[in-house]
Formats: sequence, structure tokens, C-alpha cells
Amino acid sequence: MINTFAQVDYLASAGGSVWHRASALTKLAAAVAVIGGALFANGWPALAALLVTVIVLVLTARLPLRLILAAITAPLLFAFVFAAAAWDGQAAHAAPRLVRPVIAGVVALWLVGTTPYPDLFAPISRVLPRAVGDSLFLTYRAVFSLLGRVERLWKALFLRGALQGPVRRRAGMMGEAVGTVVLYGFERSHRLYQVMHLRGHSGRICGCRHWLDLRREDAWVIGVLLWVVVAAIVFHGAPRS
Amino acid sequence: MSHLHIPDGVLPPLVWIVGAVLALLVLLASGRSTRGQGPREIAYRSALGGIMLAVMAIPVPITAFDYCMTLAGPVGVLLGAAGAYQACFVVTVILALMGQGGFSVIGLNALVLGAGAAIARPIYLAIAARTRPATAMAAATAVSQLFSSALWLAILAVSVKLAPGAAHEHEVAHALAWVRGGVVAAVVLPLLLLAVGVEAMLGFGLARFLDRVRPDLLPGRTSADVPEEASA
Repeated sequence: MINTFAQVDYLASAGGSVWHRASALTKLAAAVAVIGGALFANGWPALAALLVTVIVLVLTARLPLRLILAAITAPLLFAFVFAAAAWDGQAAHAAPRLVRPVIAGVVALWLVGTTPYPDLFAPISRVLPRAVGDSLFLTYRAVFSLLGRVERLWKALFLRGALQGPVRRRAGMMGEAVGTVVLYGFERSHRLYQVMHLRGHSGRICGCRHWLDLRREDAWVIGVLLWVVVAAIVFHGAPRS
Repeated sequence: MSHLHIPDGVLPPLVWIVGAVLALLVLLASGRSTRGQGPREIAYRSALGGIMLAVMAIPVPITAFDYCMTLAGPVGVLLGAAGAYQACFVVTVILALMGQGGFSVIGLNALVLGAGAAIARPIYLAIAARTRPATAMAAATAVSQLFSSALWLAILAVSVKLAPGAAHEHEVAHALAWVRGGVVAAVVLPLLLLAVGVEAMLGFGLARFLDRVRPDLLPGRTSADVPEEASA
């Protein structure tokens, strides 16, 4: 998982497609429009248009095929359970339950794969309470070091035979291991607090690099946004799924 | 079990919209109650949120299945209701961005995880007054997990009932009765109890370690309880 996290993070910062150069705000608006369109679309033509749109988006963002396939298949597994639970014998009723999650998953990949996290979190943190907005940045930052530490810890537990034996013993050992990570997280948070003070923390993590800087490339994103709106209106009266 | 991996577009809009509104209201209320806290608390909360995410990524092998821990109970005990809810909200936002659960269910996810975490500390404090912290943490974690899981199942039940066309279809009614009667009793319940047991034992080990090394991190304990070798 840490590899996927790191890969997406790297692609978002190092990619050079037109989407990477567009501002976070317009991409966030486009992603919300696509997800909203998928959630409320009532006909096959609208869903098909959105699916084609998001596939074109991720392909033109030059994201790895492995990640695209993962974004398509991961929500499918869970969506399939729900489609089966509400199965009424008609594939036309079940299929939208499978397509909607795929559209949302792929557009999420497009968004996080083309937007560095400080730019992505900056507009989100503006609408959240200050403490929660700051937590968003700090939690994401903490994940990488903690995930690496937890993975190394699990490997050590496995190699030393701690994952053998009865469940009670294994769980107890893992609990103690998690305790060491909690302690590390606590110490790390103290260091981070001191660093924040040294760097002149003003009571809010800004994250305001260029998430609002509109560029020429934003015209493409606004084009996508308009296309989604037009598709939703045009196909609204199309046959229901 | 207590964090939803439900993707976008499968729950009825009424369910996730109500969930999102409720989650935002609770978030605002928790923001008010933590307004006086400084960067130190925010950093600690974020570290525990990071640990939740990291631990969720590690599957715990129980029987033939792998179980993903949430640590919602222990985090609820360590942070208290408001802080734990905020940590849960942030965790679910990041999970949604990483494709683990949809954007539309961020509110429901945060409510389910956060509700379990929020009740953990009062339970811990009530039990810790009479017994060891590790036992109290295990009990608080178990109750927290059961509460979250019950909420999770309730949301699923409401969602299936509200699904368009599902409520009046004979086949769906028959399938629901079969699911309620057979699958829940035979598969879901034993697995749920096993998962709750594992999470409780993890909480037990975690509290036992903290009680030995840094008891001041546990609620109700002071820095005077810190062993000399740990504070040196």
C-alpha cells in the first residue's frame, strides 16, 4: 500500500500532462461534477458519456495502466455485493450500480494523480474547521513514515515468529507492537510541534501554493466541467436504466 | 468491519445525504469543543490518524481470513470523543481520495467510525476505575467495535430497504429474509465476534504497553505514574 501511496504522490508532483498544470480548484470542481453526474444520472447514455469522459481523462493524464485498472476493479468488488443484494432479475437495473462506482473511482484517481496533496488539501481545508484542516495536512504527512514503520514492524514480528500460535497471543503481541508505533507517533508529534513553532506557525497551515492560480490549462478542465453539465442535461430525458 | 468500503453510487441518495449533513454538523460541534487546543494536540491527533491509516493497511491473519484493524476504540480512548471524531473524519477523507470508499459515503464512514470512537473513552474511564487499564481498554474497544458494526449493519439494512424497486420485489424480500436468517447467523456474526475479539486483544496489548512505558498517555493517569526509567 505504501508503494501505491508513494507512487500516486510522486505522479501528482512529477507528471507533466495538461491536467497536472491546471489548478486544483477547477479539477476539484470537475471531479465533483463528474461524481455528482454519476450519482444522479438516470439513464444509460449519461453514464456511458461519463465513463468515456473519465477514461479519456486518466489516459491523457498518462497515469500507469496498473493504477487505472486498480481504480476500476477495486470499487467493482464492493459494488458487486450491493448489486447482488438488490438483484431483481434484470441486468439493466443492476449494471448502473456497477458503472457509477467505476466512474467515481477513476475520476478520483485522475484528481489525486494529477494534483499534489498540498494543492488538493488547501481548498478542502478552507471549508473545514481550522483544526480539522490542519489535521488533514499533518495526517497525510505522517502516513508515509508511520506506514513504513508499521510495515517494518510487521515484517520483524513475522520473522521472529510473533505471528505464530493462538490468536490471543498474536493479537496481544500486535497490540504491544502498535503501542510502540503510538509512542513513536506521540514523540513525532512533539517534534513536529517544535518544528512548527521554529518555522513561525501562525495558527493555520496555509498550503496555499498555487491551488487557485488559474492558467491556460484550466480552460481544458473548465471544458470538461461544461461537457459534464451539458451531458447531464442532454441525456437527462434519455431512457431510464 | 466498522469502516465502510462502500463505493459511490450504490447507496440511496437519501441515506448518504443525511449522513453527510449529520457528519458535518458533528464536525462543526467537535470543532467548537476543541477550539482552545493548540498545535501540540493537533499534531498528536494527526499522528494517531496516521497510525489508524497505517494499521488499516496491514491485514491481520485470523483463521483463513485477513482482518483490517481500525484502532477506532483505542484512538477514542486516547483522544476523547471530539478529537477522535475529527481524526476519523480526516482518515475517511484520505481513504476516499485513495479509492477506499466513495466520496459520497465520507459522512457515513466518519459517523460510523467516529461514533464507535466517541463512546470508547467514557466506557474506558468507567471500567478503569475498578480494574487494570489494559482490561478497560479491551472492553472499551470491544464495545466501540460492536457499536460501530451495529451502525454499519443498520445503514446497510436501511439502504437495501430504500433501494429503488427493492422494497416491493418478492425476490428481494425473499433474499433479505434468507440473508437475515441464514448468512448473518452462520457467517457474519461469528466473523464479527472474532474481529471484535481480535481488536479488543489488540487494545489490551496496546494499553498494557502504554501502562508500562508511558501511563500518562492513558486518560485518568498523570505524569506522576510514569516509570522512572521511561521518563529518564
